[in-house]
Amino acid sequence: MRIQVRLFATYREIVGSRGFTWSSRDGLSLRELVDGVVAKYPRLADHRDTMLLAVNHDLAASDRILRDGDEVALLPPVSGGAR
Amino acid sequence: MIEVRRARIDLEAVVDSVRRDDAGAIVLFVGTVRSDERVKALDYEVYRPMAIKSLTALAERAKDKFGLTDLSIVHRLGRVPVGGDSVAIACAAVHRAEAFAACAWVMDEVKRIVPIWKTEIADHPSRVRRRR
Repeated sequence: MRIQVRLFATYREIVGSRGFTWSSRDGLSLRELVDGVVAKYPRLADHRDTMLLAVNHDLAASDRILRDGDEVALLPPVSGGAR
Repeated sequence: MIEVRRARIDLEAVVDSVRRDDAGAIVLFVGTVRSDERVKALDYEVYRPMAIKSLTALAERAKDKFGLTDLSIVHRLGRVPVGGDSVAIACAAVHRAEAFAACAWVMDEVKRIVPIWKTEIADHPSRVRRRR
């Protein structure tokens, strides 16, 4: 199956891309996807503890099982608006 | 009105969007880019579909929680210079106490849960940094 991965802010800068397609076996969990992405881009490892995860525009737990065509976003802590 | 936009925010339009005959109070909060050591602008990056979804859900929660008659949130995307408006929140209620309380709560929630990130644009490229 194919998962669309989106990256923002610090993570986009680390990876050097706004996103990519991740191909994998069926039944992949969100945690396994992130493990794979962090293994490919080790500089993301420092951010793992504060990383928020979303699937199809909703926050998701890491045990979520992904489906073909899902959009996964790796989100740094947010900082919008005024202080 | 729930919007994420590149163009400047029309504050009068935001206020008018919540104006209703049964509302006795409208509170408008405007977040602006303040000057800071050599910062000339902020760049706002938004995960738009998720931001619109979470702003819409947030507006519904605020209406229920504070009994608002209406609520609008407009946030900028892209570069906003020092002095520019980055976010506007208008809360309308029957009485002012609920409108004031709602506006403060909604702004805190926007900062806490809506996927928007900002980067300081300095007058020298080596000084760019993220702002929390």
